[in-house]
Amino acid sequence: MITKSPMERTPPTTAQVALSGVHKRFGDLEVLKGVDIEVGSGEVVVLIGASGSGKSTLLRIMCDLERADRGEVWVNGVPLHDRKRAPEIFGHVGMVFQQFNLFPHRTALGNVTLALLKVRKISRKAADERGREVLARVGLADKADAYPAQLSGGQQQRVAIARALAMDPAVMFFDEPTSALDPELVGEVTGVMRSLADEGMTMVVVTHEMRFARDTADHVVFMDGGVVLEQGTPERVFGSPAEARTQQFLHRVLDT
Amino acid sequence: MDWSVLWSNRDLYASGLWSTVELSAAAIAACTLLGLVIAAIRTSRIPVLAQFARCYLEIFRGTPLLVQMLFIYFGAAYLGIGNISVFGAALLALTLFQGAYVAEIFRSGIEAVPRGQWEAARVLGLSRVQTFGTVILPQTRAIVLPPLVGQYLSLVKDTSIAVVIGYAELLREGQAIVDRDGHPGMAYLAIAVLYFVICSPLSVVVRRMERKAVTA
Repeated sequence: MITKSPMERTPPTTAQVALSGVHKRFGDLEVLKGVDIEVGSGEVVVLIGASGSGKSTLLRIMCDLERADRGEVWVNGVPLHDRKRAPEIFGHVGMVFQQFNLFPHRTALGNVTLALLKVRKISRKAADERGREVLARVGLADKADAYPAQLSGGQQQRVAIARALAMDPAVMFFDEPTSALDPELVGEVTGVMRSLADEGMTMVVVTHEMRFARDTADHVVFMDGGVVLEQGTPERVFGSPAEARTQQFLHRVLDT
Repeated sequence: MDWSVLWSNRDLYASGLWSTVELSAAAIAACTLLGLVIAAIRTSRIPVLAQFARCYLEIFRGTPLLVQMLFIYFGAAYLGIGNISVFGAALLALTLFQGAYVAEIFRSGIEAVPRGQWEAARVLGLSRVQTFGTVILPQTRAIVLPPLVGQYLSLVKDTSIAVVIGYAELLREGQAIVDRDGHPGMAYLAIAVLYFVICSPLSVVVRRMERKAVTA
């Protein structure tokens, strides 16, 4: 037990997100069976795969909402496999959830400023200013005083993106951000995400929106049965998938 | 009916009423605080503490308040643990007893808030305590208020149990009046009315808060 644990080392790469040999099981179910992924600074990586393939779990591990059983997870220079240091990541990454998870008792502005006030501890005036700035950034400057229940799904998700943006995250994670939306509202959310990508935000996105993956991702990762089965540029993965499972999956999602 | 017996004892009724109000108010504040802390511990699942909280709940919900109060007042003297005042013993017993129920009310409210709320706050960098206070607790208001009022009302009525350790609250003053002047029907009816007088504004205030919570 005297062997030097891997957690004492410095990050293995300069990548913003680096996972190696990540395993995770829930009871008898082995969800991740050894995953290696790297996300460079400013890169947009899209994780695709059937439900149950482990992509959401992987994303949740990247922001320490789940803990890997084995393997190393480095995010923004913080070793998440080190229990003591993992909490350092909070407040420095952004997470956008499928169900938005807005705080229903606070206005849009109240949602966006909460962490600025409580975590960054900046003044109310500065927080409001920053809050309005990021709300404007997602096209909701006029909805600052609306409560989540008064907003459409697409607007709520954009508030959620603004809430994450307000903290100047080093990386943003998106867990099926459009899956709970009516089809006609998907575009406004992917539009915001696209513009973030254009501005150089480092992003890891789990999505079933293949169009978004194809035209925005720098790198597409296809997961199947808890492993990365295939990865590459969108042209490569969508254009000439090597694995039969990838072909089947793409065939299914693109033809419906 | 002889109303004069009520009027001639008005001072006793007034002082009994005041004692009951005092004990009720103190116990409501204390059991709410205790209930919040216990509920926070129970939902946090901190190993030893959570089990301790559970034990507390089982014990104080599983034994009569009357016995608890007698034990705390006379038991404390018997065990030589300081000399607790009658008010102190009554307050402590009521707080511990009602706190157990209040804790469960808060717990059901806290557990009704989706897990995603905790997760969103966590990624944003809020501590557990900050999340509890600014994100979770405000959302429990609509769920928690109605049963909480019910609990407060039962607490007010439970203060009458303090009569057994000699606390000079409403019921005890009433008994004193009956012992001296007779007319038990009249005297006890007056006491019932006075309890009702304490309880009714409580329901009104909370009903108003409830309405506010729903619209917010």
